[in-house]
Amino acid sequence: MNLEELEKQVTLLEDIQAIENLQRMYAYYFDSYQWQNVVDLFSDRAESAEIESHGVFQGKEGIRRFYWEDIGRQGQLYPAWMRLLIIQIGGVVDVDPNGRTAKGRWQTWLPEVMPSAAGPRQVWLHGYYENEYVKEDGKWLFKKIYWNVTFYTTYETGWMKFPMLGIFLFKDADAPPTAFHPYPSGYHVPYHYKHPVTGE
Amino acid sequence: MATIEELQARITRLEDIKQVEKLQRMYGYYLDYYEYQKVVDLFSDHAESVEIADYGVYKDKQGVKRFYLELLGGMPPRVGELSIGMVMQGVVDVDPNGKTAKGRWYCMMIEAKPTLSLHEGELRQLWGNGIYENEYVKENGKWMFKKVFFFLNFRTPYEDGWLKVPVVGQNGPSAEVPPDVPSTFYHPCPSGIHLQPHYKHPITGK
Repeated sequence: MNLEELEKQVTLLEDIQAIENLQRMYAYYFDSYQWQNVVDLFSDRAESAEIESHGVFQGKEGIRRFYWEDIGRQGQLYPAWMRLLIIQIGGVVDVDPNGRTAKGRWQTWLPEVMPSAAGPRQVWLHGYYENEYVKEDGKWLFKKIYWNVTFYTTYETGWMKFPMLGIFLFKDADAPPTAFHPYPSGYHVPYHYKHPVTGE
Repeated sequence: MATIEELQARITRLEDIKQVEKLQRMYGYYLDYYEYQKVVDLFSDHAESVEIADYGVYKDKQGVKRFYLELLGGMPPRVGELSIGMVMQGVVDVDPNGKTAKGRWYCMMIEAKPTLSLHEGELRQLWGNGIYENEYVKENGKWMFKKVFFFLNFRTPYEDGWLKVPVVGQNGPSAEVPPDVPSTFYHPCPSGIHLQPHYKHPITGK
């Protein structure tokens, strides 16, 4: 063992920690409506962002349009009762051998208060991420965010009785959702990783 | 100033913790999808046991296979069944030998499952919560499960909640795939009994 090899190992550990922090900070910025901060977590060469049933937004420009114009309503304030809590759970982060790109699986569980025709509505959401990251100038950034929603239900009914409130495709999406198969479809979001013991 | 060997030992320890965390989270993801063979392959061939809630104890790798493949795998999920386990908040400690480790975790469950008894009855939407106290072993450079132990706090119908109905239905012991021994520590709410952690207090050492 020499210093160079040790440094590689330390760098890998630092990379994983930085990516975990990035993913968690994304959620904290999102839940406090700091849309520019969210957009700035993406590489200028980012591929895409796709969450829920909103559709695919491609490139950094698409990502800016998605978070700032669509979700962020160009900075218009949301009503004070509206709330999104994004709990990031279970990161499995793998840095590619090149040390410059990485992939991560996460799941998220969200209690929210969202607007509806009848007024504020309490909702639960769940879904799995399979995200990609890229290291540029020593900093980890999002290359791709992909969140596959399992359910989007009201507090009063629960996921079994009412799995999806609707399809919320944004008009300016570059493409429709790639795999919108909420519960009870039984859809499995593919893993980016191989089995850690069998390698299959 | 530490020597390279000392630094290597410390880095290896950090890597070990990361690997154990990943192993535990992958276990959760495989279980969500009923991929029991993949779950079994996360266990060492010298695994000690698996004990989940009131199912009882299944000993050795053979018991691990019986539990996941025959018992759980023998009941294919019905249409509309949902099994989400959110494995959170790990406290992972690698033993000084660097070959074994222990970990405590919360698991919050979002489910739609039959609950009448022993998996009969209509599907109901459920909240569940419990605590893992698991053991891990490193073999040929790979971390695997040595022991899985899950303490159920509550498993309640969504409409009722954990205070009104702390545990709905019964999981075991199965007559078809019986455990080697009954549950050793099954005390869901409102027993008031707590599962002790594997670790000592980090400041007082007690």
